[in-house]
Amino acid sequence: MSIPRVLNRKNRILLKELTKTDFKIRYQGSVLGYLWALLRPLMMFAILYIVFAKLLKIGNDIPHYPVYLLCGTTMWSFFTECTSQGIQAIVIRGDLLRKISFPKYIVVVSATLTAVINMLINLVVILIFALINGVTPSFSWLLAIPAILELYLLSLGIAFLLGSINVKYRDITSIWDVLIQALFYAVPIIYPITMVASSSEIAAKIILLNPIAQAIQDIRFNLITPETITAWNYINSPLIIIPILLVITALILGAIVFRRKSKFFAEEV
Amino acid sequence: MKRSIGTRTEITDLNAPAITVKNLHKSFRLPTEQAFGLKQAFFNRLRGIKGYKEQKVLKGLDFEIKQGEFLGIVGRNGSGKSTLLKILAGIYYPEKGEVTINGNLVPFIELGVGFNPELTGRENVYLNGALLGFSNTEMDAMYNDIWKFAELEPFQDQKLKNYSSGMQVRLAFSIAIRARGDILLLDEVLAVGDAAFQQKCTNYFESLKENHQTVVLVTHSMENVRKFCTRAILLDDGKIVKDGDPNKIADAYLKLWS
Repeated sequence: MSIPRVLNRKNRILLKELTKTDFKIRYQGSVLGYLWALLRPLMMFAILYIVFAKLLKIGNDIPHYPVYLLCGTTMWSFFTECTSQGIQAIVIRGDLLRKISFPKYIVVVSATLTAVINMLINLVVILIFALINGVTPSFSWLLAIPAILELYLLSLGIAFLLGSINVKYRDITSIWDVLIQALFYAVPIIYPITMVASSSEIAAKIILLNPIAQAIQDIRFNLITPETITAWNYINSPLIIIPILLVITALILGAIVFRRKSKFFAEEV
Repeated sequence: MKRSIGTRTEITDLNAPAITVKNLHKSFRLPTEQAFGLKQAFFNRLRGIKGYKEQKVLKGLDFEIKQGEFLGIVGRNGSGKSTLLKILAGIYYPEKGEVTINGNLVPFIELGVGFNPELTGRENVYLNGALLGFSNTEMDAMYNDIWKFAELEPFQDQKLKNYSSGMQVRLAFSIAIRARGDILLLDEVLAVGDAAFQQKCTNYFESLKENHQTVVLVTHSMENVRKFCTRAILLDDGKIVKDGDPNKIADAYLKLWS
């Protein structure tokens, strides 16, 4: 599959229309409509902020902690939305796969693009909150882009890999739901990584080798405060490439499995 | 569990036949006793059970469709007609054999693919158009004609779920006939709607025949086979049992039950 064919005119139109439809359908019939794309993460943030920052008094040592927290929860929601929508995309769009012939990856990518749009809207909110909170805008904001991209590529790899298997073994959806709950606590979102680091440096290092944690800390470092602990300023060994390797592995594995299985999606879905 | 795969190639050659099919085989793996789910897959492997049954649907088809032919494919339920059409369309992979498609092929396996009841008629027209390969600008240009042909102009901004099923197929049909391709694949989507609309459909198919459009039509209506087709193929149990004059094929089809 060469690049020009992958992005030919017909496929681009299809990708655009499917993404648009996904987005429209999601908020169909709700009074506030698209506003929910904003409200949902903000409300989740409010709950976490009240419970962890106010009641449990976590994160007082981190500058701009509320925005720091919001940034983490938004990126986490982005990851979960991307993967769960992506994994289910083939089954949900089974009707299309059975009736027209088009590159199957389009349904997976279009499902994740809805999450990308949601994330971008929320990113604007984060930046506004950051400014209100006294964060000075700087060029380092641009450095958050590669980290966001990394998080997206990881989600895409997982979606392709697990989505392909999910066609035949629907257990994957449930397994992923549970796994993602566990992962949530393995990533320093609601608790600051400094809390772990103060009791065990090794545990903090292991946590940071998880590409999700590494990417989110990088985004926080560049958007909110350079006082953030990141994999790059905390781990001083060649092990630092592990998160990147994991992302590449997920992508390659996802691509291989998807290419092999997608030929039979129309029959099996 | 490697599965063999045949080939489906697309070419553009003005002098070659529109479609060439050589020794085409296809079988499906039908899951037996709840083979869905990891638990069952695990136990099946443990017991050495395959977990599926091999169902042969097409058993070695050979034929050519010339450019400008209006080919009817007939046969009883389960004879492999739709599977054949889906392989020609590139939806299923051939298991063995070669399929060569010459030119741009537009399949209509079903009318209104992707129609969403929660969207308005207008939104559905654009969505369905995108699935047929039209850009927004192309859709803008033909938008009014689509509604006029469907005779549903007052309902453009109603949600599709408020349309009657007859209205839905009329809209879908009106979009479908805008598609231009060298080869059209149609699965039982002839006359839809009420008597007046059916006449419109018939006119459309007659115009296809007059313009020497290459069409492959799967149908159970022998009346349509006699009226539109220039040639027909009778499938039975995954094999071609008769190929030739539409009238003779229609007679042979009706004799299947006698």
